[in-house]
Amino acid sequence: MRRTIATVASTAVGLGAVLVLHHPRAPVVLGGAAPPRPHARPAASGPPPSTTPGAVSQASGSTVPYGYGQLAVKVTVRGHRILDVAVSSIQTAESYSQMLAQQVIPMLKREVLQAQSAHVNVISGATYTSEAYLSSLQSALDSVHL
Amino acid sequence: MTTVAAPAIVHVEHVMGTAVSFHLLPGEADDVEAAAQARAALKRAVALLHHVDEVFSTWKPESEVSRFRAGLLAETELSSEVRDVVELCGRAKALSDGWFDPWAMPGGFDPTGLVKGWAVDRVCDELRRAGVVSAMVNGGGDVALLGDPPGGGRWRVGIRHPWREEALACVLHAEQAVATSGCYERSAHLVDPKGPASAKRAASATVTGTSLAMADALATALAVGGEPVFRLVAALDGFAAYWIHADGTEFATDGIEFA
Repeated sequence: MRRTIATVASTAVGLGAVLVLHHPRAPVVLGGAAPPRPHARPAASGPPPSTTPGAVSQASGSTVPYGYGQLAVKVTVRGHRILDVAVSSIQTAESYSQMLAQQVIPMLKREVLQAQSAHVNVISGATYTSEAYLSSLQSALDSVHL
Repeated sequence: MTTVAAPAIVHVEHVMGTAVSFHLLPGEADDVEAAAQARAALKRAVALLHHVDEVFSTWKPESEVSRFRAGLLAETELSSEVRDVVELCGRAKALSDGWFDPWAMPGGFDPTGLVKGWAVDRVCDELRRAGVVSAMVNGGGDVALLGDPPGGGRWRVGIRHPWREEALACVLHAEQAVATSGCYERSAHLVDPKGPASAKRAASATVTGTSLAMADALATALAVGGEPVFRLVAALDGFAAYWIHADGTEFATDGIEFA
């Protein structure tokens, strides 16, 4: 396998126009990898009329199947920032699944908050199915502005 | 500092078996007429997506493309929009050296790998004509951008991590189109036109460029074709590729800008 990569890398370098990333970055090049940034909102562009700056609001997603059962997520927002992501309901068939879910949920929460700290406008490849959208990071980005 | 400001109009439409997110900035914040025009354009864009679904769906037996696949319609009997897509598919097949091949799909001609991107390109045209100054349209992970992001600066596009759906692999700067194809979801739709011997080589394949239809097709080609397609895209004017190999190694052509 290594040999294959070396071949790819050398042909790529041979093309001249190609940049090869020899050192894959950490999977999440987000809040964790980058130095913390101030999260102040720009004064020039205000929030949409329906949103009061500083007001805390909550949005609940629909219940979606997640592999081991069903869950629904609640997002708490102040202005345009996600303050918290919580699971508002969860149904699992087995205690084993329940245990897995308890491991998965804090990870989901951390990643959503990290994605926000990366200040992305949009996520490519985030979801393909309508069902998967509800639990996607794009969904979290949309819910901040909706 | 890279703070992302709020777009003025946000809408999510469930259509074509996926979710399409719109973030629009019609013009100046107090321009009521621009906002009304943008909302009208959004309405037309949503109608367009449902129309495309009716015409191009391979899941609906009564759709024009389904009837074409079933041999109930000859190529000469196709509507002009389907003929446009057939022609685009031909160009994408040639550009990708056959790695994107809608004619090699099981069940007959299947333009699905390009139609979503093509539809979102048309949506962006509609928004541009209506005077929308800034727009992001995300059609199930295929992204078209218009103008500058709200708050200025450059668009920041997170690329979904191939193995962790809740994480990002990286953040890219882009101006127009970004399509990502991978083997992590709906992988069954990635049919290798050159046979099973050339198995999955990419965990994630992203193509940026000037046309989302073509970026969509090339990302699909890169996901199944791997290195030869990566080299093809590297040589193409107006397009660039970011490729995560099945073993996690990352490659980027000239033109990919990490944010």
